[in-house]
Formats: sequence, C-alpha cells, structure tokens
Amino acid sequence: MAETAGKKKKRKPRRFYDYSLLFTIIFLTVFGLIMIYSSSSYNAQIHGQSASYYMKRQGYIALAGFAVMLVISKIDYHFFARFTFLSIIISYVCMILVDFTGLGIEVNGKKRWLGTRAVRFQPTELVKVTVILVLAVVITKLGKEINELRSWLMIAALILPLALLVTINNLSSGIIICGIAFVMMFIACKKKWPFVAAAAVMICGFLFALPIAQACVKIGLLQGYQLNRILVWKNPEAYPKDGGYQVLQGLYAIGSGGLLGKGLGQSIQKLSFLPEPQNDMIFAIICEELGLFGAVSVILIFLFMIYRFMLIAGNAPDLFGALLVIGVMAHISIQVILNIAVVTNVIPNTGITLPFISYGGTSVLFLMIEMGMVLSVSNQIKLEK
Amino acid sequence: MSSFLTHHRRKILVTFFITAILMAGLLWQLGYLMIFRSEHYSRMADELHERERTIKAARGEIVDRNGTVIATNRTVCTISVVHNQVEEPETVIEVLCKELELSDAEVRKRVEKRSSREIIKTNVDKADGDRIRGYGLAGVKVDEDYKRYYPYDSMASKVLGFTGADNQGIIGLEVMYESYLKGLDGTILTLSDAKGVEVENAAEERKEPVAGKTLTVSLDVNIQKYAEQAAYQVMEKKGAKAVSVIIMNPQNGEIYAMVNAPEFNLNDPFTLVTEEEYGSSKEKQDLLNKMWRNRCINDTYEPGSTFKIITAAAGLEAGVVSLNDRFSCPGFRVVEDRKIRCHKVGGHGGETFLQGAMNSCNPVFIDVGQRLGVDSFYHYFEQFGLLGKTGIDLPGEAATIMHKKDNMGLVELATVSFGQSFQITPMQLVTTASSIINGGNRITPHFAVKAESRDKTFVREFTYPVRTGVVSEETSATMRYILEQVVAEGSGKKASLPEYRIGGKTATSEKLPRSLKKYISSFLGFAPADNPQVIALITIDEPVGIYYGGTIAAPVIADIFKNILPYLGI
Repeated sequence: MAETAGKKKKRKPRRFYDYSLLFTIIFLTVFGLIMIYSSSSYNAQIHGQSASYYMKRQGYIALAGFAVMLVISKIDYHFFARFTFLSIIISYVCMILVDFTGLGIEVNGKKRWLGTRAVRFQPTELVKVTVILVLAVVITKLGKEINELRSWLMIAALILPLALLVTINNLSSGIIICGIAFVMMFIACKKKWPFVAAAAVMICGFLFALPIAQACVKIGLLQGYQLNRILVWKNPEAYPKDGGYQVLQGLYAIGSGGLLGKGLGQSIQKLSFLPEPQNDMIFAIICEELGLFGAVSVILIFLFMIYRFMLIAGNAPDLFGALLVIGVMAHISIQVILNIAVVTNVIPNTGITLPFISYGGTSVLFLMIEMGMVLSVSNQIKLEK
Repeated sequence: MSSFLTHHRRKILVTFFITAILMAGLLWQLGYLMIFRSEHYSRMADELHERERTIKAARGEIVDRNGTVIATNRTVCTISVVHNQVEEPETVIEVLCKELELSDAEVRKRVEKRSSREIIKTNVDKADGDRIRGYGLAGVKVDEDYKRYYPYDSMASKVLGFTGADNQGIIGLEVMYESYLKGLDGTILTLSDAKGVEVENAAEERKEPVAGKTLTVSLDVNIQKYAEQAAYQVMEKKGAKAVSVIIMNPQNGEIYAMVNAPEFNLNDPFTLVTEEEYGSSKEKQDLLNKMWRNRCINDTYEPGSTFKIITAAAGLEAGVVSLNDRFSCPGFRVVEDRKIRCHKVGGHGGETFLQGAMNSCNPVFIDVGQRLGVDSFYHYFEQFGLLGKTGIDLPGEAATIMHKKDNMGLVELATVSFGQSFQITPMQLVTTASSIINGGNRITPHFAVKAESRDKTFVREFTYPVRTGVVSEETSATMRYILEQVVAEGSGKKASLPEYRIGGKTATSEKLPRSLKKYISSFLGFAPADNPQVIALITIDEPVGIYYGGTIAAPVIADIFKNILPYLGI
C-alpha cells in the first residue's frame, strides 16, 4: 500500500486536503450529539425510552454519514456531474410522492417524510443537494451566457417548480432552496443590480413586515392567522399561550442562561417547557446551559467553517468546483443564520434546523454528503511547490 | 470548462462578509438578550418553573356526645389531564366521558385546553378513579383526596349539613363551625417541568397541612336515631307532610336530637328526596333549598295551645291568677265585638285554672290574657325572650313574627293568649318552655360542646349565655305541677307513662289560611316533671284524618320517652 501511494505521489502533484474543515465537521457533529443528549434525555425517558435514545440514533447516522463523506471526498468532483439528471428525476418523484400521495408520512402533524415509520427520510434535504449540483452544472455549461436573460428564464424554469413543490411541503426549506439559488446566481453572474435590488426589497419587507402584512390582509392576500404570526413575532409576550409559546420559551431559555450559562445538562427549559428541544430550538438550550460564551463559540465555529468554504471556493481548480462549494456555503450560512434568528426572535418562527447540531437523520446524512463534495473539491486543489 | 474569473472570487468574498455581518448582528441580539434581558427572562422562567402545590388538610370530624363519629372523611379521587402528556386525545375523551358520565363537549374543551393541568372532575369515587387509572392513559392523572363522608347517611341531615366541592361547609353545623373544621392547607413549593412533574433534587419548601379540629356536639346518635324512627312512623301513619322532633336538656340547652323528617342523604345532598317535577336548574335549586331547610329553626308557625304554657306562666308570675281561681266556659268568649270559640263547642262549664289548663280551655286563657292587659303581657313576652332569637348555633334562625305593641288590641291579645295570630319557631317554643320549667333560666340551645385538635394541644369548650330570673322558682314549680297534671289527667293523657312523672302540653294549630283546614299537631313534653332533665317537642305538619295533638302527637313523645329515659338514666 505504502509503495503504491508513493508511486502515485511521484506521478501526481501534491494534493491539498482541508483537514481544518474536517476537524470542524467532527467537532460540530460531536458537540451536536452532546447537546442532543442533554436536551432530549429527559423527554426520551418520559416517553419510556432510554436517556440516550435520540443521541444514539443521531450518532449512528452521523457515523455512517461520516464514512460516506470520506468516500465522496476522495472522488473527483467532476464525477458528480453525471448524477445531475438522475438526482433531478429522483427529487421530483420524491417531492410529488410526499406532497400529493398517501406515501408521505406524517410526524407531529407534518407530512414531510418518505419511507416507513422506522426508516424514513425527508426528501427536501435531497432537493437541497440536487439544487446545488444542478445549478453548478448548468451555470458551468452556460459559461458567459449566464448573464443573458434567456439563461435566467431557463434556470428559473428548472428550479422554480422544484422550489414550489418544496415550499408546499414546508416553507422554510423552500426559502433555503431559493436562497441557495440566489447566492449561486449572484456569484456566477456579472450583473449586480438585480441582486442588490432583491436584497433591498427583502430588507424593506423585514423592516416593514407589520404594515405590509396588515395591508395584505385587507386586500385578502394573507389570512388572519398569517398576520397573527407577525403579531406574535413582534411581541411574543402578549401571546404566551398560542403562537408565542415556543418562541417565548426559547427566550426564557436564552435569557436565563446569562453570560456563563447554567452548566451543561442543567437546563430547566428542556424539561418539556420547550417542545422537542433537540430540534429547531436546540440553540436556545445551548444558550441556557453554556451561556453567551457557548453561543458565541458555536457561531464563531460556524463562521470559521464558512471561512474554510470561502477559501476552498476561491482556490477551486475550476468554476464547477467553486460553485459546488458556494452552494454548500450558501446552504450552511442561510440555515445557521435563519435558525439563530428564529431562536432569538429576530424573524418570525419557521421550522429551520441548526446544521450538524439539531436532531434529524436525513439532515445530517445529506450534510455529510455535501461536506464530502466540498472536501472532494479541496482535494483537487494542487499545491504549488 | 469555463474559466474561473476574478469577479467570482470577489463576489465570494462579498458573500462571506455579508454572512459575517449577519452573524455579528445575531451575536449582538444574543448579547442583548443574554446580558440586558437576562434578569427579566430569568424571573419569568422562575415563575414558570416554580409550582405551588397544595396539600389538602383533612377536615375535622364531627362526633356525638359519646364520641361516635357522625361526619368524617373518605378518600376520593380528582381526575385531571396534563395537556402536554396526552398522547391519544380521542381515547382520553372517550374514556373520561364514559367513566365520569360527562358530556363529550365538556370533556373535550378541557382536554384540548393548553394548560399545565386541567381538572376534569373532583370527588370521584375511589373505585371509579382506580378504574380510570387502570386504563393507563398517558396524561390522565388520578389524585386521591379527601371527601366528607357521613356514616349515618341521612341522620340529622339538616343539622349537620354537608360540604361542597371544595370541602367547604354549605349548610348546618358544617358551615357554622367552618373555621374550626376546615383546617389549614399545606403547600409544597417546587421546581417542576412543563408537565407539572417535580424536578428531582430541586430544593423544595414545604409547609405541612394542619388537620381541622374535631367538633364534639351534644347530639346522641341513639336518641337521634330513635326519634327519627318515631317521626318517620307517625309521618307515614298519618300521611303527614313533615314531622319535626326536638329533644333537649332543659337545664343547659344541650340538644340531644333534632329530627326533620323527611331527612335527605348527606352523602348525596343534590338529589331530591321527593319526586317533584322541575323544569329549569333554578327550579331544582329552589326545591333543593326547600329540602335542606331545618324546619325547627328556619320556619315559624303558630304554636297554638302549647303557647298556653307561656300565658299561664305570665299570669302566675304577675299574680293575676292562681291555681284555684274559678272560670266558666260557655264554649266561647266575646272580646270586644269578636266571638272567640273554645275547641269544645259545648263549653267546659265551670272550672278552676288548673282544670282549664288540663282541658286546654281557650276562654280561661283569654281571661288570663285580658287580666294581664296588653302592656303586661307584652312585657312578659319580651321577658321570656320570645321577641329575640334563641341564639342556637345553626345558621338562618328565623325571627319571631309578632304584633307590634302599638297595634295590639284586646282581640289580638286574646288570640295571642292561646297561641294564635303570631309565629315562632319550634326551637323558640322549646327554649322558652325550658326556661319556665327549669326555674327561670333562659338557656341557649346549642349543639357544639367542644372543639379540639387531634393532638389535644388545642381544646376549646364552648360556653353559652344563660339569663337567670326569667320567672321565679315558685312560678316554675307551679308550672311543672300544672303541666304534670295535663299529662296525668288532662288533654295530654296519651303521653303518660306509668313509671315516670311526665309534664306536657298538647296543641292543634290551624294553618293559614284557615279555610284550608290544614293543621299542625304538636306536643311538648318533659320528664321527670318535678326535675326536668329532658324536654321534647314534636310537630306533625298536615296530618290526614285525626289531627288532635293530644291524640296523635302525645303518644309519639310517650314512646320516645319510654325508650330514652332509661337510656339517659332518669
């Protein structure tokens, strides 16, 4: 073995492998497992399972995902382009099955899964990877034509139906997919103004959400309950029983954490006050147990991860590799920012998980696949002598 | 493959910086929440986590004079649901509806309400509670609790009273002595999770509950039971609407028995005894209130001839009449323009005062009343305590309904003299008669003897006011003699017992309006006649057929005396 490796080394130039990113992935995953254990053990026991039930499940999938990641990272990323067509077909089929047929499995009143009750996965996670892959392939193929309106329309025709199917299933994944496409297009295109304008509209929408929503209700564009969500967001303490419950419980957790936190495992809000604390609201438990110190650390680690993505994308051998990494980078950034924004009540409540840390098998598996792709791009970077 | 351009790299950098700025914004928000709002949210969280749980205090028992328990506590269950723990709401609703016999809508509303704990029903039988627990439904809690229990069901129901859903007294002694019986609930202050489950090892503050005091009352279960039996017998035999019996110690006012047949079941106080129709819940409540009434003290009636005891005592005390004064009865007496009849149509002819009393002759007592005059009579009426209340330790005692002194003419005086045209409670009559025969001591009738805590660290013996000198000892002795003669040879003959000296007076009061021809037959008796230790009054409301007090009421008292006098050691 050593001999053949040595031979290869002579023939091929020295390759880069981003061990910093690998370490960050391992750290976040293990930290996530610890936090899942801390936040879920009480509820698991109440429901008659062992305290480590959720942690074990997540751990097995993360381990399998890690192996998959390592394998993928050793494959030349150009090979992935061959799966573009297949992944689009599978994505459409899965989304149609989960949205419109009885095959979709409902858990906690949300019909988001395919498979059986025991072995099931969320097709929306697959769609995220698909969108990254497809856009990277298409943009690379188009070359300079990407700046033409015709190409934009074509990409819209390719992505929007899928995004719509996902949005029907759950709004937050739809937002993430649109966000990924937005970022990838922003980087690929020479034009700036359409993106700046879109960002400006979003910022306005964010700042003037309440008056806009009220106007929309008046002309019948929005339903009363949607306006209610906005009202809850603006003042959760006024709605402690109804819509504001989860957010308010999250704020209690964050606020009571203080600077240094109550200590690992000492959260009280996880004792069923926060429903399913191992899911979307796990960041609130991190804040409660580890304090501002822990929360800042987690955010900085994510920022470091994104920094690594930036480096890999900037040094990628070609545009396709760079776009793959940019897609993943967009995915992770959007999800981290939106999740923490929801938990801290900066934006209205939508169910977005925190990558690597929140409980969710499909999510961690596809994240590992994405990481594999990024590592694979990093592995194609030739180090100069 | 297309070339990888500089503008790509630049835009990647821009994206990274935007991400970094957004994250910095989130850090800012986190810092604000966790430093400046920390205190606010910590306080709100603590309020949410700390839970005060009450530990119900056991209500004090009520025991009779011999220590027999007549009101105690039994374990019952409180069924509640914990919203967050309910897994199968439909099954829960279905089971609770079936087992607790509640409407679907009612249960559904409570099960689906998002609260930490919602009580579905209290005071559920332990058997039902155990059955519900047996289903093993997640989120359904069955907590054991105390409920008032009356071992003798309906015995002295209107005296004892019962308790409501929160174990608070509603009528009778239960409400009168609420402050002694209630006890002090304890509390546990704990940290708990959202399901109300206490957090282990969390510091808890605990305040132990203090059980209510045991209340000893003067009732005697044996006497009460015997009197009730006698009351029910005569009620059935005479088809009467109601029968009341009061048995009291005339020397100190301790009540041995108070019967108000028909009684109701204290363990099921919201079920009507009589099968009366009712439309609305308000009508039902009115019927229930009627059923719970204690006729001995809540209702007044015209006492009729038993009141002649008072007229006689007033006459003797004032010295306007003596035992051997002679009267004549032609069967009526004309007062001013009114002709007032004697119950004996032909008249009693010539008779002494004593004979007049034995015959219960109305004209004799009209004469005594007229001799006293309105002023003097009213003075004695007041002196005997008839204008006030007896002060018995039961809620809702009715006041006397009497003519105003200014409106009282000779005709009114004449009717009052033999117990008509005014109303008093049976309890008032017994109390006044007691003070006349016991040597002139106006005693306060009562039930409560003492209240004590279980560990005897708290003991309170109740004392009641006694007003002496209501009548002279001499008058009292004369009255005892007269009333003994009434039973020995007069209208109260049927109350006589060979081995005892019994005094008494019969009465037959015509209910208002007189045209209905409805009566209340009554008899007031005491024994031994020379040194009264027990006094009893029976009132039979609306007997069918023969209605003379001497015929139907006197034998009942004789029967009761025959049994309780040996029991009391007299």
